[in-house]
Amino acid sequence: MITVRDLTRRFGPHTAIEGLSFHLERGEVVGFLGPNGAGKSTTMRILSGYLPATSGSAEVAGFDVLRSSLEVRRRIGYLPESVPLYAEHRVEEMLDFQGRLHGLSRSERRARIPRVLERAGINDRSRAIIGALSRGQRQRVGIAVALLPDPEVLILDEPTSGLDPIQRLEMRKLLVELGREHTVLLSSHILPEIEALCPRVIILAKGHIAADGTQDELVRKLGGGARLRLEALVGPDVATAMRLLKALPGVVDVRDGGRLGIHHVFYLPCAQDLREDVGALAHAKRWAIRELSWQRPSLEQLFARIALDLPYETPGAESERQEPQADGSASSASRAAGALVQLEVSAPLAALEPAPAAAPAQSKIVYNLNPFDMGASRDLSKPKPIDGPAASPKEDA
Amino acid sequence: MSGAWTIYRRELAGLFLSPLAWVLLCIALAFNGFFFVLSVKGFGGDVLQSMSFLLGGSYTFWMLVVLLPPLLTMRMFSEEARTGVLEFLLTAPVSDFAVVLGKLLAATTLLAVLWSSAFLYGLALAALGTPPDWAPLVSGVCGATLVSALFCSVGLAISALCNTPLLAAFFATIANAAILSLPFVDALLALPPGSPLRVALGHANVITQFQASFVVGALDTKHVLFFVVWTGFFSFVATRVLEARRWW
Repeated sequence: MITVRDLTRRFGPHTAIEGLSFHLERGEVVGFLGPNGAGKSTTMRILSGYLPATSGSAEVAGFDVLRSSLEVRRRIGYLPESVPLYAEHRVEEMLDFQGRLHGLSRSERRARIPRVLERAGINDRSRAIIGALSRGQRQRVGIAVALLPDPEVLILDEPTSGLDPIQRLEMRKLLVELGREHTVLLSSHILPEIEALCPRVIILAKGHIAADGTQDELVRKLGGGARLRLEALVGPDVATAMRLLKALPGVVDVRDGGRLGIHHVFYLPCAQDLREDVGALAHAKRWAIRELSWQRPSLEQLFARIALDLPYETPGAESERQEPQADGSASSASRAAGALVQLEVSAPLAALEPAPAAAPAQSKIVYNLNPFDMGASRDLSKPKPIDGPAASPKEDA
Repeated sequence: MSGAWTIYRRELAGLFLSPLAWVLLCIALAFNGFFFVLSVKGFGGDVLQSMSFLLGGSYTFWMLVVLLPPLLTMRMFSEEARTGVLEFLLTAPVSDFAVVLGKLLAATTLLAVLWSSAFLYGLALAALGTPPDWAPLVSGVCGATLVSALFCSVGLAISALCNTPLLAAFFATIANAAILSLPFVDALLALPPGSPLRVALGHANVITQFQASFVVGALDTKHVLFFVVWTGFFSFVATRVLEARRWW
């Protein structure tokens, strides 16, 4: 439905996008993801026929966006980021105008306008002056305007920006519905949105396609692999346990995560979910399991890594990176940035439970409060504070 | 061209929904009426002369013609570019020229409404017992509308060039004044009679083109064509500027 080949657009000396190529099948819902200034809007504007490309070509529904611009414009519903609407008109007048522009007959307009207003969830404000509407309502009107000609392709530039959480949820519901009937290309820098809406994601960074594929593919390809985390009471012979774990089919490697209280932590970098196998092994060996989890890097981590321009990592390095660096001696810039990404992801927990400045004294029994945060620990010889994490390890020291 | 018609309807509604158009109409009508009464008195009740004074025969008319179109067209592209509506229009299934044409016709229509107020003066005079000569009145209104269209097209081209309405109005006023004062270049350069530039400048004299035809009550196709062609030319320029905007 949309074919983009080698698309480049320069604004004077500034290159907005360079060498973009991708293809959208009919009925696909694709999310454009990227930090600000990555070239999302520029690409969408080229597809809508608003901006010409410096070089390369783009086709929508088989028509070249430059040569058969009008044909393309008849087939797309484009909602620019700024949600352009005539502030002095009423909602229904704006829709009527759009209908006329698309050459809809009076009866078609009469039939369709209430329908799209209903779909966009703004039918109660059809007589309102657009200038008096709130941002979220205008966004809905914008969607209704884009939907009115029943286009084959919908190009939505940040359709959920500026909406409150409830509106955002509703908009998401609407977009899921739209995805069933139209080919949708939508951009956002809000990750959960893209994760929830778009099976396929194109990540743009600095005008280039950094990644293109389904979410699973991307995470698998670029995320540095998944891993299994096992926290169990394996007895004194840790080496044997590790050997047994490594013998399981599908396990590439076993890493010793050290002791946590009476339990021992193992990390198993592996491509598939091996919880069943590990569980069966633990059952056979009578290991008491406290935690057995399958962890994969999220799209969010992946995106942050691309946005921060960090190198892609090997599975081994990835699992090391997952652990917060409590010693504070990050060796390189990329390492520091990696820790930053990690911090962002686990920010609420990290904020609740400050990591100890140095490793706790050996005589203390420490107990992990949070399986994802090894830095958080408390002295078991003292009672647990009632009002949350007020008693920090620093007080003990 | 149904696209141009749609845009025309929208623009006209937009103009009449904005207070600016009403304020301009109000001021221009008050101005016109005041000078018409003065001229009727000044010419000693010569209705014919007063009418030609009202439409094309006076400095007040040419002042309005230079000032009003830029004020109407200033927002049409520059403001829409700022609010982003231009992006909506230029991605709608209509050609750029249809957009320009629709806007041009809308601004011209508003001015035509203003000029046709002259009929009211004619009716008032007829009611008072001295019916005016209707033919020059009709041709005068037509001519004034054609001149307005020319200056509106200049205003649109400049509005497409500028990023703020104020700047667009300023430059368009200057451009309009420059077009009106083209014949003075002839006097300024003291060109020899018969030189091609002098002939060309003579042909580019908007005021004489206007007065030779519309003021005397004749609709000469030569003069009609003069205004239509130049309006077309500036509309074409506006369309090209609009296209060039996509590259900025």
